[in-house]
Amino acid sequence: MAEQAQQESTSLSAVVADVATGVALALEGECGSYALSGVLAQDDAVALAAIRVLGADVLAPYALHGGAARGGADETVVRKALAAYPPRADASEVSVWTYRGLVEASRAYLPGGPGGWPPEPPAESEWVRTEPWPRLAHRASQLAALSLPGLAPGLAADLAVRTEDLARGFVRAVRRRDWLQAAGLGRWLARLPDVPETLGLDAGLRYVRRMGDSDARVTLQVTAARRFHGRGA
Amino acid sequence: MTVVGEAAGGAVAGGDVPGEAAERAAADEPADPMAGPAADHALLDAMTVGALTWIDGMRPAFRLPAAAATEADPDHALKPLGELAELTHLVRDHHPLPAARGLADGLFRFAWEQTGQGELFAELVRNEPQATYPVELYGVFARAGLHHSGTEELLAVTTSLRHWRVAREDHTRTLGVLNAEHRIGLTPHADFDAVLALTGLGRCAEPWALDRHGVYGITHDVFHVTDWGRAPHRMPTPLAEYLRLWTPAWTETWLEEKLWDLVGELLAVRACLPGAAHDAAAWQRLAGAQRADGAVPETGSVPPDDIAPEDLFLGCYHSTLVTAFAATLARTAAMPPASPAAPFRESETAL
Repeated sequence: MAEQAQQESTSLSAVVADVATGVALALEGECGSYALSGVLAQDDAVALAAIRVLGADVLAPYALHGGAARGGADETVVRKALAAYPPRADASEVSVWTYRGLVEASRAYLPGGPGGWPPEPPAESEWVRTEPWPRLAHRASQLAALSLPGLAPGLAADLAVRTEDLARGFVRAVRRRDWLQAAGLGRWLARLPDVPETLGLDAGLRYVRRMGDSDARVTLQVTAARRFHGRGA
Repeated sequence: MTVVGEAAGGAVAGGDVPGEAAERAAADEPADPMAGPAADHALLDAMTVGALTWIDGMRPAFRLPAAAATEADPDHALKPLGELAELTHLVRDHHPLPAARGLADGLFRFAWEQTGQGELFAELVRNEPQATYPVELYGVFARAGLHHSGTEELLAVTTSLRHWRVAREDHTRTLGVLNAEHRIGLTPHADFDAVLALTGLGRCAEPWALDRHGVYGITHDVFHVTDWGRAPHRMPTPLAEYLRLWTPAWTETWLEEKLWDLVGELLAVRACLPGAAHDAAAWQRLAGAQRADGAVPETGSVPPDDIAPEDLFLGCYHSTLVTAFAATLARTAAMPPASPAAPFRESETAL
């Protein structure tokens, strides 16, 4: 059992990395027209789980290029992912927000079918106001896909109140060599106004990109920060 | 303190104190509300008195050998004595509790006695006329109004040379030398602001790029600029804003690594910033690292009771002194920029 779980976990990580790489390349404009269904090698439970892990980012290239031209196959696979992994009653806030982000992105970037998309579940954001900054920053970094333009405007507005705290989280994450957390925070900061100048966000994003380049998800985050918000170029 | 490359001293910044009594009277005033309602004065005071009590019991370990000028190791004997003098002097002058001031006063006098009322410095300068550490160390006492004429006659010559003005590698350390020169009344050998501009603080180094050595450097930049917390108003506003923004991130990072002396220095820096919030949670965590007898380990867990005394001293003296110093600054946060008797006002030129 444990061995099987290990294999599934490894397999999920590999698929997540493959999709993240495909998205990042598409954001760089290096792979022609993007299709999520094109970067998924298979259409099984692991692929659907990978879509849930990456959330709205699986559709990020459409945010850059104005929506899916041929959304049929992508629409089908995203619907499957939403149906396969809905947030459970005891789901973490991160899980609910990630699901919600994927629904929002689907509505925004994919052509809706006759039945429309699932309703967006209510997501709690009290933690943005109350959590101490290290925990706030960690959680925000896990939701970096929601920093795509136009998504989660309420969450972005709440986070903007704590820009300094997110910037402190970036400092702490880099010191801990937690490149994924740093990249996610750097990406949020790229979207938010009034980032302290002395943080050195552009240099920080370049630094994190190079130091964390063995992780495709790091590359995806810093690429998104540059392509959508012009930071870290 | 533990800036790498600092030999003796670590001391410095300053000016003289013509009216210690008046300055002390100012310290008796109630703590300023800028310290914030979250500042737990009872906790801070217990930490200060506990730390000083432990340090007081460690006097034998601070004692210098009879032939100190030739036998005392600058890093392992003179440096601790310089830190003892620098930090107890601040506590002596500013702590609102008589018990803390009394302990600190006794320790400061002890340190001066160990130098043979300053005679040691004349010998050190004769032995190493190019070295900066005798100047930095002597500056601590000169700031307190304790002078030694023979030392000052020698320094007037050695620090007048073109050689003395050759740029040194460590700009933070150079700030310390400049403060010492000011305290002693010597002509500053370089422009303070120009040197500050070359340091980690002056450059506003990217806060995420600084390693432990870099952050130690910044804490000392602050101590030299503010005369060890006595003159927070001297911090240029952009640099105060830089510190306000990033000290919480550094404090958290090194709390997690249990590097208690750096945590103490960062909390001291925080207390030097006008209007910066008191970090009650960080103080609680530092308090958790303090032994029942008052010692604070430099790093890691609380040392066991059966540790060898010498190891206990070397592993705790610096962080314990820093704790007393930082807790005193936090206790008196936003104390008046300078008491009526304090030396530096707008007229000062060296800083």
